[in-house]
Amino acid sequence: MGVLEDKARARVFYKYLSTVYDRINPFIWNEEMRDEAVGMLDIDPGDRVLDVGCGTGFATERLVQETEHVHGLDQSPHQLSRAFEKFGKRGPVRFYLGDAERLPFADDAFDVVWSSGSIEYWPDPVATLREFRRVARPGGQVLVVGPDYPDRTIFQKVADAIMLFYDEGEADRMFTQAGFETFEHHIQQARPGSPRAITTLAAVPE
Amino acid sequence: MDEDLMDILCCPLDKHELELEVDEREGEEIIAGRLICTECGEAYPIEDGIPNLLPPDMREDAPA
Repeated sequence: MGVLEDKARARVFYKYLSTVYDRINPFIWNEEMRDEAVGMLDIDPGDRVLDVGCGTGFATERLVQETEHVHGLDQSPHQLSRAFEKFGKRGPVRFYLGDAERLPFADDAFDVVWSSGSIEYWPDPVATLREFRRVARPGGQVLVVGPDYPDRTIFQKVADAIMLFYDEGEADRMFTQAGFETFEHHIQQARPGSPRAITTLAAVPE
Repeated sequence: MDEDLMDILCCPLDKHELELEVDEREGEEIIAGRLICTECGEAYPIEDGIPNLLPPDMREDAPA
């Protein structure tokens, strides 16, 4: 029951966090960093893009500027309700309640799979990255933004309690185990001293 | 949800195709109904246009 218990805890945690999420998020992940990460991708106007763990829709907002075919998935109805306020339920983005590790999509369904600020809550990151590879078409792209291990005590305490943090070596291991062959990591930071994000851009093997 | 999405959706558990049962629709949009796995028979509700494809153990009403 360990894994399910952890997921249930993450769900409860998010329920309360969602009310302040967009306010505290910019300390770690701001619009500039998000736009820089979107710029790493090669999205054509007709491409189908999946935003896993879309939450309140912070990245989704930027992705819809690249293509009309953006799909957002999240496990938390409370987080999604904030995204509905921005886009509506039947607006430009298609939303689903779902689990990142057990995606409800067919093989090769997407040109690009994006996920920012979600990996730290996945009970099994390798299994989840394998799912991303499955639903992204060969030759497509997968981009994952996670938090690098923080150097401020308060974030470390939160990190150690509930989240997974990883460095480039760990990211190499996870992406390789998930079946990716070509990928690169970018460390992104709002300003010196603030928590760093580790952004991995991976090519889906042909 | 748009009925065209049936092309890309599958069961999150066994990845088999889903069958759509509609209770309420507005044109191409399915407002209420359910998606049923053609293999394992699990039913995933569509509520207010949003498909809930969480595995049963992660639904709101699942015991934590």
